[in-house]
Amino acid sequence: MDNAEKNKTGIWERFRQAWRRNPLFSTGVALIVMIVVQTLALTMNSSFASFGDWFQNWLFNWISLLRNNSAIGIIALGMTFVIISGGIDLSVGSVYVAVGAFTMMLLDTGANGWLQHIGLTGAPAILIALILAMIFGGALGECNGLLISYGRMPPFIATLGAMQILRSVTQYFMKLESPTLPESYKGIARLSIGGQQLMPILYWGILAAAMYFISRQTTFGRYVFAIGSNERTTRLSGVNVRKVKRRVYALTGFLVAVAAIIQTSRIGSMDYASAGSGFEMDAIAAVIVGGTSMSGGRGSVVGTVFGTLIVAVMNNLLNLIGVDPYLSAAFKGAIIIGAVLLQRKDKA
Amino acid sequence: MTLKMRNIYKSFGANDVLKDIDFSVEGGEICALLGENGAGKSTLMNILGGVLPADSGTMELDGKEVQFSTPAKSLDAGIAFIHQELNLVNDLAVYENMFIGRELKRKGGFLDAPAMIEKCREVFKRMDVDIDPTAMVRDLDASYKQIVEIARALLMNASIIIMDEPTTSLTDPEIERVFDMMRTLEGQGVAMVFISHKLKEVLAVCTRYTVLRDGAMVASGPVEGVTVDELATHMVGHQVRTESLRQERELGEEVLRAERLSGDKFHDVSFSIRAGEVLGFTGLLGDGRSELFQAVFGSGGRYHGQLYLEGQPVQVKSTTQALSLGLGYVPRDRKENGIIKDMDILENGSIVTWPQQARLGVIDWGRVREDFQKQREGLKIKMDSEKDGIGSLSGGNQQKVVLAKWLNADPKALIFDNPTQGVDVGAKEDIYDTILALAKEGVAVVVLSSEAQEIIRLCDRAVVLYHGRVQGELMGEEMTDQEIMRLATGGEMRERVESIG
Repeated sequence: MDNAEKNKTGIWERFRQAWRRNPLFSTGVALIVMIVVQTLALTMNSSFASFGDWFQNWLFNWISLLRNNSAIGIIALGMTFVIISGGIDLSVGSVYVAVGAFTMMLLDTGANGWLQHIGLTGAPAILIALILAMIFGGALGECNGLLISYGRMPPFIATLGAMQILRSVTQYFMKLESPTLPESYKGIARLSIGGQQLMPILYWGILAAAMYFISRQTTFGRYVFAIGSNERTTRLSGVNVRKVKRRVYALTGFLVAVAAIIQTSRIGSMDYASAGSGFEMDAIAAVIVGGTSMSGGRGSVVGTVFGTLIVAVMNNLLNLIGVDPYLSAAFKGAIIIGAVLLQRKDKA
Repeated sequence: MTLKMRNIYKSFGANDVLKDIDFSVEGGEICALLGENGAGKSTLMNILGGVLPADSGTMELDGKEVQFSTPAKSLDAGIAFIHQELNLVNDLAVYENMFIGRELKRKGGFLDAPAMIEKCREVFKRMDVDIDPTAMVRDLDASYKQIVEIARALLMNASIIIMDEPTTSLTDPEIERVFDMMRTLEGQGVAMVFISHKLKEVLAVCTRYTVLRDGAMVASGPVEGVTVDELATHMVGHQVRTESLRQERELGEEVLRAERLSGDKFHDVSFSIRAGEVLGFTGLLGDGRSELFQAVFGSGGRYHGQLYLEGQPVQVKSTTQALSLGLGYVPRDRKENGIIKDMDILENGSIVTWPQQARLGVIDWGRVREDFQKQREGLKIKMDSEKDGIGSLSGGNQQKVVLAKWLNADPKALIFDNPTQGVDVGAKEDIYDTILALAKEGVAVVVLSSEAQEIIRLCDRAVVLYHGRVQGELMGEEMTDQEIMRLATGGEMRERVESIG
């Protein structure tokens, strides 16, 4: 009896300790709670004939949830590195729209299509367009990186400038264009597996795994953490801090390009004025909810995936229980604030 | 006003910081308070300034016993404490700084700028200095900022002003300006306490001196007739000289040579060091030794002059380049420059060598761990798990981890900047052993230290800097506390007596 009591408090105590010490643990618990509530809401929302019926409904709900959030999930992976390195990237939404427009102009099946113009069509054209789009995204990120590392600009300001410039220039160049994409390009995201469009989820999963590996096992990944925690010490340890910072932004640009490719392929078009706007805030929110410290040095890729899912599941939940869409941003805001309050470390 | 402190005792735990101190100062004199770091100067002045309470002892102002429980009470009694780091807001005008927190207001709560400006003018006139009260503080040079601080003290009707190393960041003409102003105030009956390491300055401006050593008062008297050497001897004392660790070593080829290096904080410094040699650099705060070697290591600002590595001229532009050339630098101020607080012990102890232990950018943690374990044994690092945060270690063990990351890099020349700062005695000896073992293996070792004893015990040769210039170089037995202190405070190099025969 006495022993059982002790054991109980032991588990509770261990839970509390893990909650406090490991930000991944608390985010994970929060995610599980959200998922339970979401599943309950889904179950009560309508009546199901059988378990199979329920399961199919549940599964389809999840697939569409993951697919709809894959683009922001991929961008948030890059943002994680940026924030761990002690920076911020506000330009992701504009890079997204710029890369989207660039890719569509390359592949336009109309008279103005760049690749068509030089006689490239079909699969080779798509392959080249993909490579160029990723290089373009990386290069735009590299510009941010150069301004920040060699121009010694605060990341907030450099990327705020880039955000304005890129969207405005994209809109200017695209005002008379209305590119149409070749059908085969749309297969990149729409290719169906077992009757479901799973490709975007697959890309997100692969990139998340790759970024996790990079963050833990490579010199670059560990340098990102070191710089965010103590840039001076890192430089005095012989690390080329500027190069690492530059690469962080280039990597983010590359990931944004991947997100842009997936979305253009899924949707087939892009609204240059509004596409990707707010992505920077959504990505930052996912990273913060995932337990990464805004001041740099601490955080994780897994946390960001959890963070992206928490926000996504919450939106899904609001949808399921029929909350007015106008209020969804309020809930998102509350989640961000709540998450950070929970993650606060007890000070002395 | 006359201040008398009698029989002051203060201890922190088992550590007696002040033992039976008598200290006095009266209007119209500038009293120097001297002593090495840790001698108890700051503690004594903090007691006077109401920051710390004394354990026992009395304080009298003009014959009346007083006690200050807070800094504000001390200030009300007319005692102003000007700290080493300036306490001014750069983005406000001079007069706004002078009245900060005690602004003069008109009826209705609006600021009365003309009245404040006028008051400032009066104070500056009294001090005989020419500062525009409406100028922005950021536009003033360092000496005028120091003077504004003193003026603020006068504005508060302070009659006793304590200045903690006010000349540290000033150039010679600026120092002269502050001294002129101090002499003017002296003539007006203000009492000043001048805390400094720079004995030449003490002789130039002070009328009396008090020397503390290890918490006890060891000497005091009028400055007239005293020499720098005598003061230096008082400060250091005739302690039993701890055993020297210097050893006969086979010296190899020259590894590093600098010719006339000049930068912001150092001028015309030349030196040369051979493999297996331990070369010391010492001086007082502001001597420029850290800046000099940060420049050598590629992390300082621009500099002129030429650096040679193994006879080849090199231009070190980044720390990455320095590392690839075979230079290493264990920095001072461990918290800011040495450790990465969010990373674990293993990562802190290996970050320098990651590129060597990685293939295609992927770190081989197994090899990293092996290398670290070797250094851990050699350095006797006490720890539980290498996965623990670096913050879980004591200061000495943290410093050893910082050393470990450089030892693995196998540098040709390794620079240690204040290697035993904030390190306990045991760890200190371990670090000394490591440094000497490196020299024995043929590494050229540079030790920067403000502790004369450290230099004397470790180094084969020591360069003493004063205001960024080489003031002298001491070999072997020439290195004594007194001699180092004399040169570091601006004394001239003695002629070497050539032996005949």
